[in-house]
Parts: sequence; structure tokens; C-alpha cells
Amino acid sequence: MSRSAEPLMSLSGIRKVFGSNTVLKGVDLDLYGGECLGLVGDNAAGKSTLSKVMSGAYIPDGGEIRLGGEVVHIAGPSEARRHRIEMVYQDLSLCDTIDVAGNLFLGRELSRSGVLNKAEMLRKGREMLDALDIRIPDMRAKVAMLSGGQRQSIAIARAASFAPRVLLLDEPTSALAVAEVEAVLALINRVKAQGVAVVLVTHRLQDLFRVCDRIAFMYEGNKVAERRMEDTNLDEIVRLIVGGNRDEATALDQAGARS
Amino acid sequence: MSHHAPPAAPSRSWHDFLIEHAQVLSITLFFILCCVLFSILSPFFLMPDNLLNVLRQMAPLLVTAVGMTFVITTGGIDLSVGSIVALTNAVCALALQAGLPWPIATLLVLLLGGIVGLAQGWFVSYQKIPSFIVTLAGLSILRGIALLLTRGYSIPIDEPSAAPLLTLGRGWILGFPIPALLAIVILAAGAFVLRETRYGRYVTAVGANAEAARRVGIPSARILTSVFVLTGVTSALAGLLIAGRLGSGSSNTAEGFELDVIAAVVLGGTSLLGGTGTILGTVLGALTIGVIGNGLILVHTSPFLVQIVTGAIILLAIWLNTRIFGRLSAGRKG
Repeated sequence: MSRSAEPLMSLSGIRKVFGSNTVLKGVDLDLYGGECLGLVGDNAAGKSTLSKVMSGAYIPDGGEIRLGGEVVHIAGPSEARRHRIEMVYQDLSLCDTIDVAGNLFLGRELSRSGVLNKAEMLRKGREMLDALDIRIPDMRAKVAMLSGGQRQSIAIARAASFAPRVLLLDEPTSALAVAEVEAVLALINRVKAQGVAVVLVTHRLQDLFRVCDRIAFMYEGNKVAERRMEDTNLDEIVRLIVGGNRDEATALDQAGARS
Repeated sequence: MSHHAPPAAPSRSWHDFLIEHAQVLSITLFFILCCVLFSILSPFFLMPDNLLNVLRQMAPLLVTAVGMTFVITTGGIDLSVGSIVALTNAVCALALQAGLPWPIATLLVLLLGGIVGLAQGWFVSYQKIPSFIVTLAGLSILRGIALLLTRGYSIPIDEPSAAPLLTLGRGWILGFPIPALLAIVILAAGAFVLRETRYGRYVTAVGANAEAARRVGIPSARILTSVFVLTGVTSALAGLLIAGRLGSGSSNTAEGFELDVIAAVVLGGTSLLGGTGTILGTVLGALTIGVIGNGLILVHTSPFLVQIVTGAIILLAIWLNTRIFGRLSAGRKG
């Protein structure tokens, strides 16, 4: 995948403090268009906090965020959206009792003087799914009736339809069946191919090799390492996640338990 | 899974249809069953006069149930509707007694219902107090105000100038009771708004997943407040209809009314958890309750039995409903 020459989004010295607990201790990170960055780390390593800083859910206590070279101050999720940063939260973004088309257009329904234009939403919703090669047989099916993979695909398609520069995905493949994981990973690759900077927060190390070009490792609030996919292997990834100060056998055991 | 299924078939399968409409279908079946049963047991049941009378008596409940369907679809509850009916009913009679012309009194009463709803909605959505608590307090306070205003007496509406209001509660047009016509208009409007408008979609979204709704920029708090304004106004309308029918206003009106309204809505398949609600279901739920009450009286059972049977049937219908619904969707996902 050819990535953009200049970073689309650039974080430098990002700090976040909760009370007496410094969760992010000055993190630098560059995101490039057309590239998927895997953000990994053990629980409480700061990867969720970092993705929330990028999505505007948290305001950093220090550091700088640049978008396309310009320093921006992201004061909230809606402002992040204005900067074309989209986040797909783990199974939190859909309304089960509303149909597929309705969910794709949730919050920006097509309507004429308040009356929903359902036919148009069905048609355009279908186009949105087709563009990413997502197969959902029935646009009028309630989302509750769909499989986990289909639901995740719809959530990603909705985020992608805002033409984001940066797309943050929080654990998109946990709790999915094997075939569904494949479909979602293929979808991530298609979104990436559109030139979007994708960030994948995940515990599933095998997914990293399928979609990521680069991995950033978080450990106790610091970015401890960054690797290009072709320069690393599973052993090293596991070592870097657990902090590198334990012997390899324990590390591998833990990797087994995790995946 | 259907991930790799061929693209959209033009017609949807029977199974999908059944699952999606299981709630409304089962209450329809139940309603028809009740009608058949009572028409066999009593020759009077199916007479047009009887049916129209049932409809006329049900009008206040049907009107209020529209507002209640919206509230329950957001995942809330409004226990104060009976007390709002009593308050508006009493205020209507008092206003007419004080010499206000009937159109002004009508507007005043509807406005009062709206303001009461707005106040309760504000506590629920902006102060984050559970609607059960807020409206339980409302139930007590509002009937208390009605008692205070009327001192417990029934206020007659006998001013000749108030005749149009009495017609609203008692009159007939082309052989059809006016309150029932009014209820049908409100029901049709409610069904349209809930199904076809952006506002209705937001109501459903807030009930289905408030967090998701908030994240996509739906003004959840405003939507949540507005549904209580709806129950306020529809309850006030019910209060007017009752004032018109009985020709008096009293603080004792509509005691236990909230339970009938909630029962009708829930019987109609609107989920107490929010996110799913249909006005059609609510109509059928209300009519089922009405038909059971009417039918049991026609077949000369003890009037005391009506409450027992109504309660038992609500439990039975909802039990069947969850069983059927649960099994169908389990079959789909498995």
C-alpha cells in the first residue's frame, strides 16, 4: 500500500493525567494516509487513552496535535469529526432496533421537512455498502438480526462514509467468528486503499499481520517501540508488548492466553 | 452466515416478517380471539352500538396511550398521566366556572399539560433522575394540586357557553362518536410521526442506544424532554374529553388510569427497555383491554372479575409474546 509522503496526523509529546496517575507520558506518533497503524499494548498501557485523545473524547494535558501540518486543538468528538477524524467504538455505535439503512444515516437522516426519505436512504445506503464491497442482503433488516461481523461492517461503513482522513478502530474483531474476522479485515484493507489513515487498536496479534503496515507499542504510558511489519515477527511483538523485561517463555505463554 | 449470501432478494422471507412483527401479530391474534369468544358468548357484543360505545369509552385511554408509546419507546415511563388527567379535568371545569370562554379554557388546559410534561421531562433528561421517580412524584403532586383546587368537590360544567366542549366529549358525527374520531386522528398522527419522521426516528434511536445516538449528534436530552411534553398534552386532551363526557371536573377522575395506559402500550408490544414501539400495537393493546372489560360485563360475570381477568390476560399475553419472540429470534441467530 502506498502511503502518503507527509503524515496526515502527527502527535508530539502527548500527556494525559487522571488525578495523580499519569496515563500518557509524552507520546509521539505519526499517522500516514493509506497506511494502517496497529496500536498495541497490555491493558492499562495507554492505547485506549491515546485513541480517545485522537478522537477528541479526551483533551490532552500537554503536547501537540498536527493535522496536515497545522496545529489543531480538538475539544470534543464533534470537533474531531469536523477535522474528519472518525472513531468506531467496540459495538457501541449501532441502534439494534433500527434497520441497516437507518443506522447508516443515523443522525444525518435524509428527509423532506422532517419526513424521512426512506427510499433514498435505502438506495444511497446500498451504494455506501457496495463501495466497500459489504454484502448485506436486506437493507431493511433490523441491525439486531445481523451477525457480529455484519454489524461491525456497518459501523465501519458509516464511519468511512464521512470521508475521514483518520479512522480509529477500537477492537473491531474481538468477539467475532473466524469468517467474520476475515470479512472485517478485508474491509479495513479496502478503507485503507482509499487513502485513509487507519489506526487499529487490538489485542489480536494475528490481525496485525493481515492489515497493518506499522505497529506502535505502548507500555506504561510511553510509546516504547515502533516497527514496520516486514521488520518484525510475532516473538518480538509479544516481547515488546509485555515490556521486554521478562523471559521469552513467559511472554509466549501470555500471548497464547491472549489470542 | 449471510455475509456471503447473494445480494438483496426483492421479497423478504416470511420468517423475517414473522420475527419483526411478532409482537404486533400476536396481539392481533389475541384481540381477534377475544372478539370471537365474546361474540359467541353474547349476542350483543358485535352490535354496532356496543362496539361504538367501547370505542367512545376508550377514547381518553387511546389518546394518552399515543404519548405513552413515545415515552416507553425512549425507555422511560410516565406514571403521572392519570394525575395530569385529573388536574387538567379539574382546571378545565374551574376555568369555565370562572367564566373563561371554552376555546381559551381548552388552550389553557392543553398548555398546562404541556408545561407539566416539560417540567417532568427536564428533571428526567437534564437532571438525570429516573423517569419512574420523577413521574411517581408527579403522580402524587399533581393529583394533590387537583384536590387542593377543587377541595375534593366535583365541579359541574353547566355554563351554556361551554356546550361545544360537552359536544367534544359526548357528540356524534355521522353515527360516529366524536371522541373516538378525535382519538383516531391522534393515533394516525402519532403512527406517522413515530414511523415516518426524523423526530420519530430519533425517539427510537434514543431508546435503542442512547450513547450511540449522542455520539452521532442526536440531541438526546431534548428528545427525552419532548416525549414527556407529549404525554402531558395527550393527557390534557384526555382530561378535556372526560370533562366533556361527564359534564364535570373532578380531582378523582382517572384513578389508576396510568396503569391501564401502560398496560395497553406494553400489551401492544412496545418494549419497556426502549427502542421498539408501534402505535398499531398500542391501539390493539388498548382495544383488547377495552373488549375484555366490555365482554365480561355483557356475559354477566361479576364486575369484580374484570380486573382479575384483565391482569391475568396481560401477564399471559406478554408471557406468550416473549416466548414466541424469544424463540423466533433465537432460531434466527443460532
